[in-house]
Amino acid sequence: MIEYPSIARTGKYFVTAILLFIFQMILGLIMSFDFVLRGTSNTPVPFDILKSLHLNVMVLWLLLGFIGGLYFLLPKEVGRDVKYPVLIDFQFWFLLLIGIGIIISELFFTGKNWWLVEGREYVEAGRFWDILLTLGLLSVVYNVGITIHERKRHMSSPMLVLAAGAVGSILMYIPGEIWFNSIIAAEYFRWWVVHYWVEATFELIAAGAIALILLSITDVRREIIEKYLAIEVALVLITGIIGQGHHYYWIGTPGFWLFVGGLFSALEPVPLFLMAWSAYKDLKENKKPMQNKVALYMIIGATLGNLLGAGVWGFIHTLPQINFFTHGTQITASHAHFATPGTYLFLVLGFAYIAIPALSDRTNFFQLRGKIGFWILVIGFLNMIIALLLAGIIQVQLQRISGMSFMEVQNILLPFYGWRTIGGVIALMGGLVVTYDIIMIGRKKIV
Amino acid sequence: MNNVRLVLIGLLIPSLLMIPYSIISFYTDFANKNPEPAQVTVSFQGKVYNAIEGKRAFEQYQCMGCHSIVGNGAYFGPDLTNVYKRIKGNDAALAAYLLSGVPAKGMPPMREREMSEEDAYRTVAFLKYAQMLDTNGWPNNGSWDRDGNIDGVPAKQISPSGIWQIILGIIFINFLIFIVIMVYESEKEEEHD
Repeated sequence: MIEYPSIARTGKYFVTAILLFIFQMILGLIMSFDFVLRGTSNTPVPFDILKSLHLNVMVLWLLLGFIGGLYFLLPKEVGRDVKYPVLIDFQFWFLLLIGIGIIISELFFTGKNWWLVEGREYVEAGRFWDILLTLGLLSVVYNVGITIHERKRHMSSPMLVLAAGAVGSILMYIPGEIWFNSIIAAEYFRWWVVHYWVEATFELIAAGAIALILLSITDVRREIIEKYLAIEVALVLITGIIGQGHHYYWIGTPGFWLFVGGLFSALEPVPLFLMAWSAYKDLKENKKPMQNKVALYMIIGATLGNLLGAGVWGFIHTLPQINFFTHGTQITASHAHFATPGTYLFLVLGFAYIAIPALSDRTNFFQLRGKIGFWILVIGFLNMIIALLLAGIIQVQLQRISGMSFMEVQNILLPFYGWRTIGGVIALMGGLVVTYDIIMIGRKKIV
Repeated sequence: MNNVRLVLIGLLIPSLLMIPYSIISFYTDFANKNPEPAQVTVSFQGKVYNAIEGKRAFEQYQCMGCHSIVGNGAYFGPDLTNVYKRIKGNDAALAAYLLSGVPAKGMPPMREREMSEEDAYRTVAFLKYAQMLDTNGWPNNGSWDRDGNIDGVPAKQISPSGIWQIILGIIFINFLIFIVIMVYESEKEEEHD
């Protein structure tokens, strides 16, 4: 049944990614209680540790999901098996061990050892884990690179885009690890990691993965699906690389970034719109009755989440004239909680819903449970996003324009934080439904 | 082949532009008038601590996990860029504030997190440096973040009374979301038939 034996090893990547996502949601939920019960909640773990775990666990499951997706799709596209299949297992356990190490360090060594915990947002993992993680990820680059190098077939462009995105993401982890004395330089290069992930290399992964998943579930011709891919990729890179400037407005870098960053990041929604539009056209072209409805739902979710969460929600506060007031408020939180799960969660789930039924030979699995899980996730996240957006608008008006104090505004925002918690509970339930579904689809035949 | 060229142009032109941009951002007359972190110091019990050690302490105790600096970080606590100004440049007061925390507002006493007095003063040196940064005017004039005093407002917790507007809002928004889902799903059904 399975043409290339190595893909049987990728199942655990998806299952672990989804379990880590559940863990991330639980952490987020605990933190949302810290917001509504400020000062009274005696959570055994302080907020900053929960927050850093919330981010690092996300980075870990995104990497696991993307690497798993890459290894799953690669053999079919290059016409040969992965060069070193054992490395797939080894890298999984290595990354998982590093992840557990990071979690334990965060919990017990925050503030005690700079080599174990660094405390910079998104790259909190200490220097020691950074180095191990980079080595592990470079071995993925090597395994993928040598497989592509010794390919037996002309490689399709979506696969090339996906591989370039994955390799680029791994390489862009490095700039964040350089030590700078100045906070300006440190922030400048920290954003190289975060921004170049979400607005360049992860977008490439998204573009390539959406095309590949559409190819595998529809009967639309390759040329049509690949038609806009080059333009999408070129636009993502042109707008994304200089669009970095929207992180350099207020960190102590020169004022020309206000112009350059504002101009290019205002154009960033264009490739996202193109992605959504071409996916829509491809699906209209399709005549084949689609068996795997859930994967289709996830892909539509990822395209729309990308367009609305990253494109529209990003655009509303990307211009410097607006960002001057919205920077560092809950508007950013609303954008982050729309763009990241909206795009990358649904992409990883899309990968999982393609891979797991294929690996466990249950291609005609029961669809309703996955669909219900999807909709509960959407409802939960939309509640969270709307609550945070309203909270952000009120915070901008009261704190940044009227000059009320931070705590006074936080007191006013309490009902919205309560609403956010409700959204979080709903999203967690959706996540549990999806996890249960995936584990049931993949049971016994994969571990 | 043309596609590859297009993508390469898309990659290379902005990447190459990032090099002069990055150089101009730090090394020319264009660069903002930012302080040198080694020269911003705070003295405590005869010892002098600079902002470089301060930055390391700031990272080690994960201040960014609750607060933001130049607007980047978490939004659980207030932005720290101008906190040194808000406390009127009083090193000892700021260090004491860090060590004893404000448990009623959710800030743990950093002493419980094993922060030493030296590390507290190091962090103070970093915060002194942070308020000297030339951040193109952010945060804006008139905002509390820039011109405020230490926040004297006590924290409240959510109370069930007085949130009925929000509950109505939640019901209304979710009703709209539910209608969208129903319309989407029923259209799918029709396509099938």
